[in-house]
Amino acid sequence: MATFVDRYPEEASVVKACLTVAFVSLGIGAFFGLVQALHRTGVVRLFSSVDYYTVLTAHGVLLALVFTIFFLLGLFTWAITRSLERPLPNIRLTWAWVGLAQAGTVATAAAILAGFVPDIGVSADVLFTFYAPMKAHPLFYAGLAMFIVGTWLAGADWFLAYREWRKDNPDERIPLQTFMVLTTMLMWYLATIGVAVEVVVFLLPWSFGIVETVNPLLTRTLFWFFGHPVVYFWLMPAYLMWYTILPKLAGGRLFSDPLARVVFVLFLLLSTPVGIHHQYLDPGIAEGFKFIAMTNTMFLLLPSLLTAFTVVASMEHGARQRGGEGRLRWLGALPWRDPAFTGMALAGLMFAAGGFSGMINAGMNINYLIHNTLWVPGHFHLTVGTAVALTMMAGSYWLVPQLTGRKLYSRPIGLAQVVLWFVGMVFMSNAMHRAGLAGVPRRTAEPQYNSFDFTTTMGSIEELQLQIAVGGTLLFVSVVLFSFNMLASAIEDPVETPVDDRLPAPLSGADGSPRVLDNLRLWTAIAVVLVVLAYTLPLASIVQDAGLFGNVPGVPMLIGNFVESLAGVIA
Amino acid sequence: MSTDTEGESLARREPDTARPEPERPYGYVVGSAPDGVERELSHDEFDPVGTLTLIFAYFVILVVMWVFMYFVEFLGRGLTVVG
Repeated sequence: MATFVDRYPEEASVVKACLTVAFVSLGIGAFFGLVQALHRTGVVRLFSSVDYYTVLTAHGVLLALVFTIFFLLGLFTWAITRSLERPLPNIRLTWAWVGLAQAGTVATAAAILAGFVPDIGVSADVLFTFYAPMKAHPLFYAGLAMFIVGTWLAGADWFLAYREWRKDNPDERIPLQTFMVLTTMLMWYLATIGVAVEVVVFLLPWSFGIVETVNPLLTRTLFWFFGHPVVYFWLMPAYLMWYTILPKLAGGRLFSDPLARVVFVLFLLLSTPVGIHHQYLDPGIAEGFKFIAMTNTMFLLLPSLLTAFTVVASMEHGARQRGGEGRLRWLGALPWRDPAFTGMALAGLMFAAGGFSGMINAGMNINYLIHNTLWVPGHFHLTVGTAVALTMMAGSYWLVPQLTGRKLYSRPIGLAQVVLWFVGMVFMSNAMHRAGLAGVPRRTAEPQYNSFDFTTTMGSIEELQLQIAVGGTLLFVSVVLFSFNMLASAIEDPVETPVDDRLPAPLSGADGSPRVLDNLRLWTAIAVVLVVLAYTLPLASIVQDAGLFGNVPGVPMLIGNFVESLAGVIA
Repeated sequence: MSTDTEGESLARREPDTARPEPERPYGYVVGSAPDGVERELSHDEFDPVGTLTLIFAYFVILVVMWVFMYFVEFLGRGLTVVG
């Protein structure tokens, strides 16, 4: 029984090249995460707090952008190739986008890491949320631009593969994994318009000194135009694995193919017109526009809840096929000693918890309670930090053997690794949420102040800091175990069947579902209309207020006006 | 998408069988949960009552926590933006 590397050796090399970048970034980014967790809790301060933002930027960019998106590039290449059952149409194009994205990543990472050596004169301590007024070296923006163009070309490559397949299969339904890749990429093309305009029109010329000023609110809004849908760009690979791989890992079959399609269509429609919910406290955007963004955001709960049902039902199907009984006893019949299964299941459980804190973030009024506190990083360490990252690591235990033809070095180490990640995140994320409620700020090297003590409803700040430090350490150990297991797996002897890579057909297939689900033009058109409705007036208002390139003296003035107007409203 | 549903056991190598098994590593093979399938359940035979139980429990947790967050943590603190 041949596996992926035997059928598609060129494509397997491409996937391996992408995953290698992802895993190297994971290792470096996780180290910076550990350094940060120990620094801001005051346990060990290895470096000057002046360098905190260099560490934070490297952690955010390497993990949230490079690790996740390179994993996506590899996974989607694998998914397109195997689900269309044909090699990619032009492997030179494929290697071209791999090279472009890798070169962009090196440039961006170099610009960030150069911040540790002031003599070089290059720095990019602008965090993952790289909007004005923070300015980076042009190398940072140029690298990002190359990286994003690389992802665009990757999408083009996959659409070309789909077009070739369509020529030979004019009446077939789009294979599910291909459908997921294509809808995700359509969402990505729409979403990256915001960041492309932000970087190319404003930040890059500003960074080169071609223009003197920018309109900070405009660049923030353009960033969040991209900044929210990018979280779904991270999440959709995890969803692809939860829908098409996890049911098999559980010993069952996907409950419903059409429901999976509906979910991906909903993400295409709703991911982008919601970015303003990151700007609830931004002055200069009318409350009404924020309310529209909140409404769209609440609609996004729908596909996530559909996913909770479909994925859990698919797991239950596996458990019952394996002899599980009862209302909850079937959980014991799941294959918990399989690290790929256990990691993904624990990631899904964490995502459910992240759904709760996300609901708090999304509410326009209750958001004020936690805005810019440690609650917010607590939230996204559940979502991107676990639902996505842990699913990707767990999925690797099943995926990588297909790419190398070599078996996983150690299943028990893999199992320990995913459980350790889960436990570490329970400590760290829970403590971050609670610290946020106590008012502890995010993005702060030394969150301690003279003559002021944070007070918690339960426990103490010291206890929360200890949990964050211990949790961060466990997470780092987990990444070390993962990296070791992957490296050791690479030198195993090749075997013919290193992994069970069969994927069973869904219980309810696509054949009976409405064909309109596969009408990608229609869904793209509706997505564009929704974005136009959500963004035209806010953007016009922002430009009208302060000009395209800014004509206000500075950001503090805006905050001053905001406080004055707020005081007026309250009085 | 290529699919197959056979549940034949591939977990252990048995070199003396009539049809030779493909070379496969010893021990637990990642993704081999289908080997443990005892019965095939079709769409109509499968009643996801366990999923209903879990989703309902999740929903109750969500409601209780949201009520706590809104009424105790948020409204319970009063105005603190301008003091």
